Amino acid sequence: MKFPYKGYAGYYLDVDLTKGKIVKREMEKEWARLYLGGTGVAAKILWDRTSPETDPLSPENVLVVGTGPLTGAMFSPSGRMMFASRGPLTGVWAESHVGGFMGPEIKYAGFDFVILTGRSKKPVYLLLRDGKAELLDASHLWGRETNVATEMIREEHKNPSLETAVIGPAGENKVLYGSIIVDFYRAAGRAGLGAVMGSKNLKGIAASGSLGIEAYDIEKYLEANQREMERLKDPLWKDSLASLRKYGTTDLVAVINEIGRLPTKNHWTGYYEDAEDIGPEVIAEKYRIAQEACHGCAIGCKYIIRVPEGKYSTGPIGGPEYETLMAFGSNCLNNDVESIFYLGKRCDLLGMDTISAGKTIGFVMELCERGIVSAKDLDGIDVSWGNDEAQAELVEKIAEREGIGDILANGVRKAAEHFGGEAWRYAVHVKGLEASGQDPRAHQSIGLTYATNVRGADHLRSLSSLEELGYPEIASERFGEEKAQAILDIMSPTCKGQLIWDMEDLYALVDSAVICKYGTMWPPVYYYSTFTNVIAPLTGMDEWADPKYVRDSAQRISHLRRAFNHRLGITRKDETLPPRLLSEPMPTGPSKGGLPDLDIMLDEYYEYRGCDKGTGYPREKKLRELGLDFVADDLHERGMLAK
Amino acid sequence: MLDGPRAAGANMQVKNFLAINTDLCTGCRNCELACSMTHTQSFNPKRSRIQILKEEMRNLVVPMVCLQCESPLCKNACPTNAIQENDQGILFVSEQDCIGCANCVTACIYGGIEMDPRTRKAIKCDLCGGDPACVRACEYGAITLVTADDGGYVARREALSLPYRTMGFLVKEGPE
Repeated sequence: MKFPYKGYAGYYLDVDLTKGKIVKREMEKEWARLYLGGTGVAAKILWDRTSPETDPLSPENVLVVGTGPLTGAMFSPSGRMMFASRGPLTGVWAESHVGGFMGPEIKYAGFDFVILTGRSKKPVYLLLRDGKAELLDASHLWGRETNVATEMIREEHKNPSLETAVIGPAGENKVLYGSIIVDFYRAAGRAGLGAVMGSKNLKGIAASGSLGIEAYDIEKYLEANQREMERLKDPLWKDSLASLRKYGTTDLVAVINEIGRLPTKNHWTGYYEDAEDIGPEVIAEKYRIAQEACHGCAIGCKYIIRVPEGKYSTGPIGGPEYETLMAFGSNCLNNDVESIFYLGKRCDLLGMDTISAGKTIGFVMELCERGIVSAKDLDGIDVSWGNDEAQAELVEKIAEREGIGDILANGVRKAAEHFGGEAWRYAVHVKGLEASGQDPRAHQSIGLTYATNVRGADHLRSLSSLEELGYPEIASERFGEEKAQAILDIMSPTCKGQLIWDMEDLYALVDSAVICKYGTMWPPVYYYSTFTNVIAPLTGMDEWADPKYVRDSAQRISHLRRAFNHRLGITRKDETLPPRLLSEPMPTGPSKGGLPDLDIMLDEYYEYRGCDKGTGYPREKKLRELGLDFVADDLHERGMLAK
Repeated sequence: MLDGPRAAGANMQVKNFLAINTDLCTGCRNCELACSMTHTQSFNPKRSRIQILKEEMRNLVVPMVCLQCESPLCKNACPTNAIQENDQGILFVSEQDCIGCANCVTACIYGGIEMDPRTRKAIKCDLCGGDPACVRACEYGAITLVTADDGGYVARREALSLPYRTMGFLVKEGPE
């Protein structure tokens, strides 16, 4: 049967890199109807095509390249795409999203998804062009940094507007947090999907297309879009949007430090005395030269910087995000902002995650301070707090897996095992993923987010900005007056289980649609109603106009991803926090003394999610209600289904 | 030194044109989306009449659109008279008459007319009948519809300065 829905390109690719074989298939109707796209469809594909025996870096692992119905369909902000796989850093569910222009281009080239398996004998890249796909030799690109590889691919096809997603040396060398770089300085950074690409001998994907995307009911869709846009332009959000446009995410350095939640000194505390030196004002005044935006985005948080002179001078590059400023800056006690620009740039060119790289280096700095390791364990490098030259040296060694870089390329969990002794106490990760730039000792609900996030310790699966930045109107609107009071209390665990359950489901739709977190996370404008409004007229899937169907679908996606992890052995004992964040009270700053009440929040979360509180396993009834019978049957056989 | 859009021998009575403030353009391509939506009922930037050219390594974002020249190089280069005036006096490409030879694309030094990759016929901006979709779609206020008076000519010329500085051209503007 022909794929009946609009808004999609209508085809996906099955690429077997071992055989060099590409099969073009029509999109599956049920993928769209039940899982929408992006992370939802990727979860279904990975559930079906991998098993607990699938080694993340083996040819058998599956790398899904995904878009969603809203990708490239003029919904702001929707210029995004995603990658998903069993992750090499954590061994569990891994997904990573990225903006820029590549996602839409993949759809204009005629494809919604690309499913990659196997391992090519020699380096190749995949070219997608107007409904056709081919694997091309990438021997000459192997070893090249991401910007050079992109320029060479464009030159080869005499097409300066060819969009790319490529890995750098780090991904090729299977650094476990290797990233995939899109459009020069946008990164699908987290969880090491660049290493998965590298393990397949795939340098990247290039796309160019003139196949348009149609809407099912264009008048209604544009109208619905306009209504959502009006909500985004509500005067209530004027300041948030103005800040995003002027500072991008760098503003968070100031805002987050003010609430005592800026990871400092390997997450020892949440307050950085020199935050101003790496903050929004200095960057905007001294280095920012232009504003940029991803495809069709009305927010425009990206910016370009230039450093005219000094040892870190550079021509125009994408400016660092908050997370990079945190990871190499406050987290390593480095207040030399020009060195952070340099480190961010090197990570983009080498193709590795700035968060995991910065956090791994910060971890080593603490081990040095505590005498657990010394310069002789670290190829003679003086890895002391704030030493930007040591950071730069380690970044290069990690990407090449040279000397101590070979150990640090495996992230803090495995490095702690290598160093032994008390090192594990200072490894700040969940499920093996280094924590991003938040701290549950200053913001209770982020603790629950870290613990339950299917890919490990970061904010992007369920962070709540309602109490983080204070949005009382929205909290009341969504949860009622009474609960809003508890929710807005940033240091209370009350109602946080419900809050994070709600956010996780909401972001499951955001990540399936596929749109940006901005507009949903911050400012918190888009909600379930957004999807109820726009998906049906765009696609023609009538059930998506029904609010209950939309919420059930969100839950279906969340449960399927969780089940993927259960199958790999994840239970409640893994849904926890590292010792530092769970039991060392915040030592300094505005949130001094803070600690998260994780168990209270987890109990409430499991209740809302429909899971057993002892194990975290899903209840059978819940899965069957959501139409996940195939999951229920499988987990039942494994003894992982709660009654 | 190149002749400007109002070179000697001007034969069009132009009332309005688009002016782009390149400092405000973020390169988001929403104008391309809106344009393709209006003209092809699909989201398809490659079929847009306005095009954003980029060179990321040099941080260049260059919007290109028809200047509605008083002395239209495209029209003069068309062998089949496919570039015609509509009832508002704006030049458009008659799809029936266009043979897809791309002479107009070669002739236009401003990158204001291009080939539609699906139909293989030339396409150019027709100002959407007076209410351009790209102007409405630009959230950064970079595109405005201006009237052909002194201020408008200056705005149009300023929009050209970035692309031509990039390519090393100097462009004359007619008398103001």
